[in-house]
Amino acid sequence: MAQANQIHRSLTIINKLGLHARAATKLVQLANQFDAEIMLTQGENSAPANSVLALMMLESGQGKTVDVHCSGDDATAAMDAITELIQNKFDESE
Amino acid sequence: MIISDIISLDRTQCSVECYSKKRIFEVITEIALKQNPRLNQDEVLSSLINREKLGSTGIGNGIAIPHGRIKGLEHIMAVIVTSDEPIEFDAIDGKPVDIFFAILVPNDEADTHLKALAGIARKLSDKEIVKAIRSAENKKEIVAALA
Repeated sequence: MAQANQIHRSLTIINKLGLHARAATKLVQLANQFDAEIMLTQGENSAPANSVLALMMLESGQGKTVDVHCSGDDATAAMDAITELIQNKFDESE
Repeated sequence: MIISDIISLDRTQCSVECYSKKRIFEVITEIALKQNPRLNQDEVLSSLINREKLGSTGIGNGIAIPHGRIKGLEHIMAVIVTSDEPIEFDAIDGKPVDIFFAILVPNDEADTHLKALAGIARKLSDKEIVKAIRSAENKKEIVAALA
């Protein structure tokens, strides 16, 4: 059996409010569109990208770097979508 | 952020009879105003409603965290309300909501806001705490569950 596609990328949170409730909710909604298992890690803490509560516990403010791990058949597409969301400041104006 | 710093028995209400999203925001606003008369009713209510319009604060499992930014507010304050019956809330998992952990935050305090959200999330991700809030028969039991 082929090994599941696993990728990892470090991304910086650039929006002013950081990974607050609305941003976390957007991330969960996006992650739920993919089959890939997605984890975010910041320092010693990790959160699955399908839990708003877990993501909020990361307390990722502006300027923080999060390591995103995606594994599964559509890991690459998931990673690209998450990268775009974070780099687009979760569609926030600042 | 210690959650007990932002919650208070006076800003907690158990088993509110409420059947709509709008009404729950009014209840939260009434409680906040009673405790802090310097707040402006229209400002508090519209900040909660406007935030909700940007996307539901229903984060799943019957829990919502409505919040609003209030100009001139000195400290972050939480208002906790449980409803008698779960209310349709357009939550992320589609489930109706019966636990409302609302916070009013001073404008322009992104870090404090994130700290508060993280503190609330730590409590509400604990299934035993959520169970205790849901089965509470009065506000004392809700506050005790979160202590």
